[in-house]
Amino acid sequence: MASVIATEPALEPSSGARQVARRLSADRGAVFGLVVVLVFVLAAVFAPLITAISGYGPYEYDLAALDDTGAPRGFGGGISREHWFGVEPLTGRDLFAVVIYGARTSLLVGVAATVVSVVLGVLIGIVAGYFGGWADRVLSRATDVVFGFPGLIFMIAVGAIIPPWFPKSLLIIVVIGFFGWPAIARVVRGQTLVLKQRNYVVASLAAGASATHLLFRQILPNLAATIIVFATISIPGKIGAEAALSFLGVGVPPPTPAWGRSIGEAINWVQTDPMFLFFPGAALFLVTLAFNLAGDGLRDALDPRSEGAGR
Amino acid sequence: MRVARFLGGRLIGMIIVLLIITFITYAIFYVLPSNPAQLSCGRPCTPDRLAQAKTFMGYDHPWWQQFLQYTRGIFFGRTFGAGPAAIDCSAPCFGYSFRLSTPVTQLILDRIPVTFSIAIGAAILWLVLGVSTGVISALRRGTAIDRLLMSISMAGVSAPAYLVGLLGILLFGFTLNMVPIGGYVPLTESPVDWLWHLILPWCVLAFINAAIYTRLTRGQMLEVMTEDYIRTARAKGLSETRTIGRHALRNVLIPVATVFGLDLGGLLGGAVITEKVFSMQGLGALLLDAVGNLDLPVIVGVTLFSAFVIILANFVVDVSYGVLDPRARTGTR
Amino acid sequence: MNRLRGMGVVLAAAALMLTGCNANPANPGSSSQSAPPTKGGTLTILTSQTEISFDPAKSQSLAITSLGLVNRRLTTWEVAPNQPAQVVPDLATDTGTESDGGKTWTYTLKDNLKYADGTPITTTDIKYGLERSFAPELSGGLGYHKSLLAGADSYKGPYSGDQLASIQTPDQKTIVFKLNTPYGDWPWIASMPAFSPVPKAKDNPNTYGQKPEASGPYQVQSYTQGVSLNLSRNPSWDPATDSVRTAGPDQINFKLSQDTTVAAQSLIADSGEAKNSFGAQFVPAAQLAQAQSNPNVKDRLATSGPGALSYLAFNTQRGALKDVKVRRALEYAADRQAYLVAAGGTIAGEPATTLITPGIPGREPYDLYPAEPSGDPAKAKEMLAAAGHANDLNLTLVVANDSSTLAQAQALQQGFAKAGVKITLKPLDANTVTASVTGNDTNYDLYLGSWQPDFPSPNANIQPLFDSRQIGGGNYNISRYSNPEVDALIKKATGTVDPAESAKLWATADKMIMQDAPVIPLTYTKNSFLRGSNVRNFFIGAFPAYPNYLKVTLAQ
Repeated sequence: MASVIATEPALEPSSGARQVARRLSADRGAVFGLVVVLVFVLAAVFAPLITAISGYGPYEYDLAALDDTGAPRGFGGGISREHWFGVEPLTGRDLFAVVIYGARTSLLVGVAATVVSVVLGVLIGIVAGYFGGWADRVLSRATDVVFGFPGLIFMIAVGAIIPPWFPKSLLIIVVIGFFGWPAIARVVRGQTLVLKQRNYVVASLAAGASATHLLFRQILPNLAATIIVFATISIPGKIGAEAALSFLGVGVPPPTPAWGRSIGEAINWVQTDPMFLFFPGAALFLVTLAFNLAGDGLRDALDPRSEGAGR
Repeated sequence: MRVARFLGGRLIGMIIVLLIITFITYAIFYVLPSNPAQLSCGRPCTPDRLAQAKTFMGYDHPWWQQFLQYTRGIFFGRTFGAGPAAIDCSAPCFGYSFRLSTPVTQLILDRIPVTFSIAIGAAILWLVLGVSTGVISALRRGTAIDRLLMSISMAGVSAPAYLVGLLGILLFGFTLNMVPIGGYVPLTESPVDWLWHLILPWCVLAFINAAIYTRLTRGQMLEVMTEDYIRTARAKGLSETRTIGRHALRNVLIPVATVFGLDLGGLLGGAVITEKVFSMQGLGALLLDAVGNLDLPVIVGVTLFSAFVIILANFVVDVSYGVLDPRARTGTR
Repeated sequence: MNRLRGMGVVLAAAALMLTGCNANPANPGSSSQSAPPTKGGTLTILTSQTEISFDPAKSQSLAITSLGLVNRRLTTWEVAPNQPAQVVPDLATDTGTESDGGKTWTYTLKDNLKYADGTPITTTDIKYGLERSFAPELSGGLGYHKSLLAGADSYKGPYSGDQLASIQTPDQKTIVFKLNTPYGDWPWIASMPAFSPVPKAKDNPNTYGQKPEASGPYQVQSYTQGVSLNLSRNPSWDPATDSVRTAGPDQINFKLSQDTTVAAQSLIADSGEAKNSFGAQFVPAAQLAQAQSNPNVKDRLATSGPGALSYLAFNTQRGALKDVKVRRALEYAADRQAYLVAAGGTIAGEPATTLITPGIPGREPYDLYPAEPSGDPAKAKEMLAAAGHANDLNLTLVVANDSSTLAQAQALQQGFAKAGVKITLKPLDANTVTASVTGNDTNYDLYLGSWQPDFPSPNANIQPLFDSRQIGGGNYNISRYSNPEVDALIKKATGTVDPAESAKLWATADKMIMQDAPVIPLTYTKNSFLRGSNVRNFFIGAFPAYPNYLKVTLAQ
């Protein structure tokens, strides 16, 4: 579900926060990305407030906005003063509200799933890297299982098993997060292998420090920069995975708005009502692009050596 | 000797991994609130007929026994039913689909050409496209071309494949009528039609994936160009083409090859979304159809096959990484 | 496919057909163009199905669709525009001669019937074809004969060497069926796929479905699972023996695994091969809107009359839904207007209030829960409060995971919310939904489905859905509704031979069931299909709500 970055340049945590901010603000792409991300985050957080101003919630039917065949009346899929982005065909729900609330689903799942895979990946990677031997081999095999297992099939099957009271979004977060850990585990493992040879670690070890102390006090802080960058870069992949699941109809159940589902439905309407595809499609594209730009910028700012290096 | 032990260990590891995947798949689908025998009971269904169908399909045993029977079938083959109507499924038997009246092994073999045609064609296209634009971008760093290529690739990285694919079908298939809107023609039937049907999926997959390779290649290239041996080569008076071709590119291609192997492996295992969008009947479509119809033997068989391909690709990458880059031999991976 | 197709066990319908009762305003969609049948051309049928089996034992196919092109049966259906469907002889000379008070049925074959390879068709082959339908290897087909033939309960098919004694073949042209109960509707049963001849020498149960011995005008030329199925002419088929099949095209190709939306889009575009094609699936709402807005395309749209009943079933054995007062209150909360819009507007159906559908003889219109098309949430709320469930209802609706069903489910969800009832959707694969609601576990409160009876009788509307013997075990009483009085009435109506009298009984049952409110009748659906511009004689009769494949021809 996430593409694998085999060679992640080592990051030096030396750069001070101010220096990082300065480099970041000089990167126009990164600034654009951060601003767009911020706009979407605000939209998601204040969605109820925004739709109170725009006048329609995402669950309200407005059949008057549709014609006899269920298609929106008027220009651009029913764009009007009441409905800024027009309405959904067949329901008359306000597309603006649907897109705004869709940001909640995308961002929540994207960020939370990233947290899940980062936590899992860091724990597994650091343990495998530090202890080596059998831990390392188990990691290797476990990675193979996760890579080899079709996540989509897993999602469909588990979605059918879980009881209805279990929140589906939580399930999606766990599943996407779970299938994403091997990539970060590899990177963390590699970095841990390097760090464990460092003088200060070797010295502490000789002085009788416990493994827990070494792992969490000495190695983990030095991995912080890598982890932050990696997390940022992997958010768009997770958002894309959520949208893909929704597109295939196994994401959050309706009526909770989700861009992927809107896109999947809008594809059927594209010849009659192209704006239905445009708005959710553009939102998904923009937010993915923004996270990618911000992630790139952040990496460059934290590690000037890799400036311009792609994903 | 060490190499042989390394390879042997990895092979045993692979088999264990595949068994675990089979086991998990079996377990998950067994607890689904459904009953494959009930779906093939006919209408109206009576308890007697249901029990007969269950026995015949081998669903009357506990799930772990079914799993063992299935695993046994892979190595020794198995027989369903008895008498003249019995179905013989010889090893390697990945199960038998009662819905399609075909052994799963046959179903997989039938679908491989489709999936492999999509994957290999697209992979070649995106590799060539991605690496060449990456190199150009790196060499022309900071110029308008670089910025343009980087912007396009950023868009490619951010666009969902299904959206690009569907828009491609609408534009080139319906509106411009340039390419077929989907489907697959076997290479053996008509090479021209084969190519014609595959062009759009190849281009879409290539566009999305090349973006990643462009960025990866450019990054690696920039890093390598600052290394000492490149400077030395230049200083020795080697031509720019030679410097890049012989020295820089070789080092750039090692990480690219790693990612490429894994991506290709994933695609060879069946691309569910791509096949769905382009109405191609490959392994991904077979799997999706089987899930929709709770055709357990097909689900397990295809899952097992794609897992095998992916893990094999992983393995090949690991081994060749060791060969390509001697420095990597000390650490695993 | 959440479109369940039920085959009723009917006594009275045949008689009704013969008297030509036409109480129903038949409003068949005929998109065209009754043209004199022309021969030639290659017809393409676009279907979302991933596999087609021509094995008569495994098939649930209607008499007028794919299987009917290849396999003839003892009887078949005459379906024509503006006429009720009739059962007519196919391989047999008549629709059956009964004796012993309806317990014995005798058929004689026509002359000059041959398979594609020239060998004659015999009643031994028909007997063998039926026998093999009992084999567990070949389960999955329509099996109504299995519970009607005498002594068949423990029969397990011919592969173990046993024969079924209740099917007798005194000579190669005669076949006699002995039933365990009088059954006036046997002529309809004899039109089912399993009544096709299968020569024993050619039978390999594992592969027969891919290459059956053809008795109809076409034979299977090639089959690629998931991709295509091509039919070519059967040289031995004699049109003089066949009154229902036109056999216009020289070649009929099924394109399998076609996305329904893409198929509809290419039929709308109508270029190249699509000109000679039609779609086997309902046109999705989006393409229906597009087709209606374009006069050139609208002409090529065939829409059926109001046919199948779409309904919301309450699980009457679960939680608050056990209480009839709650169910009656919920009847008022259904927003049929939004539901219909979600299905594609007025072309997709009409609001429903009864269980017996329009076009079925004996239907009496009534409305026990009158309200606006958008429902009466205020009244529902009031009644729910009176029943002690003012705001605490939270119901799970299991629903097939396709965009049109989900759109309809959300329309209902939105309407119920106005009455203070929360509905949680649980989208699952269509087969998982079917398996779970027809199984024995009850993990759902509500189910959204539609029911198209396989032949025109109120019995087929009511018995499969509300007879308490049809609960669980793979059957379709999804409300799990059990009322001994209703059971008794169903039994009585089934056994009543006089058509007018039985129709009256069914109409009483209809109302009696709705008093208990086990379902909400939502709409009588209309199905729409698209054809290419060269396709002729593409029509939907009064029943069933599907196009008649047997009569389609191509313009030359």
